[in-house]
Amino acid sequence: MNPTLILVLSAIVLGLPTAGFAVSAISAGRLPHRLVAWTGPGVILGAFVATLIIFVAMLQQPASSRGITVVFWHWLNTSVASGHGVAAQTGFNANFSIRIDPLSVLMMLVITGIGGLIHVYSVGYMAEDPGFNRFFAYMNIFITSMLLLVMSNTLVFLVIGWAMVAFASYALIAFWYERRSAVVAGRKAFVTQVIGDVGLYLGAFLIFLNLRGAHGQLLHTVNMQTIFANVGPGAHFHDGLGPLGGGMVTAIGILLFLGAAAKSAQWPLHTWLPDAMEGPTPVSALIHAATMVTAGVYLVARFHPIYQQAPVAAGLVAFIGIGTAMMAGIIGCTQYDIKRVIAYSTMSQIGLMIFAVGVGAYSAGMFQFFTHACFKALLFLAAGNVIHALHDDQDIRLMGGLSKRMKATFVAFTVGSLALAGIPIFAGFFSKEELLGSGLALGPAVPWLWVVGVLVNVLTSFYIFRVVWIAFRGEPRSEHAEHAHEAPLLMLLPVLVLAGLATVVGFLNVDFAGFAPITLFSAFLKPVLGVPAATASDTAGALALLAGFLLSVGGIVLVWAVYGRGLISRELVPNHLPWLYQLSFRKFYWDEIYDVALVRPTVSLATVIRRVIEPEVMDGALGGIRDSIAALADDFRTFQTGFLKDYATWFFFFAVVGLVILGLRLS
Amino acid sequence: MTGLFPGFLILSAAMFSVGAVGVLVRRNPLVVFMSIELMLNAANLALITYARYTHTMAGQVFALIVIAVAASEVVVGLALITGVYRSGHKLNLDELSEMSE
Repeated sequence: MNPTLILVLSAIVLGLPTAGFAVSAISAGRLPHRLVAWTGPGVILGAFVATLIIFVAMLQQPASSRGITVVFWHWLNTSVASGHGVAAQTGFNANFSIRIDPLSVLMMLVITGIGGLIHVYSVGYMAEDPGFNRFFAYMNIFITSMLLLVMSNTLVFLVIGWAMVAFASYALIAFWYERRSAVVAGRKAFVTQVIGDVGLYLGAFLIFLNLRGAHGQLLHTVNMQTIFANVGPGAHFHDGLGPLGGGMVTAIGILLFLGAAAKSAQWPLHTWLPDAMEGPTPVSALIHAATMVTAGVYLVARFHPIYQQAPVAAGLVAFIGIGTAMMAGIIGCTQYDIKRVIAYSTMSQIGLMIFAVGVGAYSAGMFQFFTHACFKALLFLAAGNVIHALHDDQDIRLMGGLSKRMKATFVAFTVGSLALAGIPIFAGFFSKEELLGSGLALGPAVPWLWVVGVLVNVLTSFYIFRVVWIAFRGEPRSEHAEHAHEAPLLMLLPVLVLAGLATVVGFLNVDFAGFAPITLFSAFLKPVLGVPAATASDTAGALALLAGFLLSVGGIVLVWAVYGRGLISRELVPNHLPWLYQLSFRKFYWDEIYDVALVRPTVSLATVIRRVIEPEVMDGALGGIRDSIAALADDFRTFQTGFLKDYATWFFFFAVVGLVILGLRLS
Repeated sequence: MTGLFPGFLILSAAMFSVGAVGVLVRRNPLVVFMSIELMLNAANLALITYARYTHTMAGQVFALIVIAVAASEVVVGLALITGVYRSGHKLNLDELSEMSE
């Protein structure tokens, strides 16, 4: 690929959303909304076109030469050029360099493509909002940050993008700042993100401090390509590599995953995501479904050379991923807020992706990310149409009968649900079967993780079709639902495009159970992620496929039996297993646990300090110091004429005296 | 010392002296302020010259910190000058002596 072309194009990709942000932000409320309605989505679609050109240029290259690093500018460069009698030496640098390879281009395509559609949708959704310009400023800066995160070739800019994403997410969750709940949710999300950031920083520092090159010399580099080149088998960390990959590399893997867990809402840093639904619905679609929450999956996939050396850390990743998938699935079954159900579904699906990248099925994890971005954005936007039509009611108990009143939205939501549940021909089927199949093949030590993963299927199709049934079928249960209207064309069009995508993108990779393999997707990512070490045998794969499919259908049948026909009482679980129902309905009590274990002790400690230590200890001691100084100061007061020049003269006088004394002592 | 290094140091010393004299003799607080900036930048120049001469980063990093401190100092200083002006005083350093009270 032509480096200059790539440099210019990636500058456009990063620059356009930044320019869009600048225009919307600097103008504040002064620019007419009509103009921002063009620039806001326009810059993202422009970035998408530039990404497409990069993508096409990349496809014309042989697979081995599809990775390229371009340097925007040099920064903090301590390399010394030869001259002045000194030999040249290479030093530290934190150049602003961009990595363009299949993995980053895939992320860029999703961020700008799905992001562009959601921007278009937002023009309709936010049309009446007085904060229209502010909204697009935040959305554009989010896209910039996310692109920086996936394109950066140095740890430094990865961390910058990582932190900017957290800020943009905070700003968008707390977008309706008059609402106290939104502000609290934004703050919670930000604090959680920062906990994860600390993990990422520490992991990055450990890599920087400990990574050794081929000759055992410390590299002290933040260049990610250099790092990956030196982390392969036989990597040299301080403590070498033990049978479990060495303590250092395991620590790095776990610390990096702390960052990934915060971004991807994995246990134990997951509680912010459902609360993040306080933001406008397009935000939920863009940030809390399609892009930001998958940053953790990207991070683990990008740093897979490290996880391959750290089986303990990778196992922990897989374990937490599958556990979160199960937990979020169970919670999703009892929630009544349409967006929260989809949020728990996101958490659960991302748990599956994290599981996949944990067991080493990187390509399958990224494929699930890709299809999930399509159908989860679709579900959120369709839910947005419903919420818009119902004047901001989000409780599915207040809906009902919407399938007749909002036909297109109903069809789109159903397509998204089918894709999410993993019903054949829809995208989720192919990605989820591949993911679970390769999980089966790659995780032989822990086959029951796979069993849990398949059980998530039944939960998935149950909770999402429960929403379909309660919200769209039956009779309207509120006045708003009775008078619901289909959304305007501007909001319907992106939904329909996404519905089309959610139907077809699965065929990019049909690779399981001995089917005629189509491996366009995994072949594209192969130069970066490599091939899985093993694939399931045909028989095992076919059985796994059948089990997964039957469980998905089983979930839908269960919904039909419970909510459609009433064959099974809705009160069955609440009455007979009240602890299970409460556990699910109360979200496994994590919010309460954190409140008791972290929030309240902190607040009590702060109160004690404020009430006791501050007035007694601090003020007492400081008061004594103050009084003695005041007495001393009376003697010096004669110097204080109040004229600035007198002070300056004294200052210079004593500076000169000091310098003279210093000079005499040195000579 | 070879090459341009002595020249840079002499320039730095000259800038510093000009700034120091400016602080001492001028009456307009804005001009005094600019003189202080001149002295800071003279110090920066010296720092960077020595950093370059010794092939180390410390001087450059320190210059960055000086720039950051100078920027925040400008904010505080200008706010003070504006405040003094708003409170109805003439901006003449020879007439302002409220600091002693």
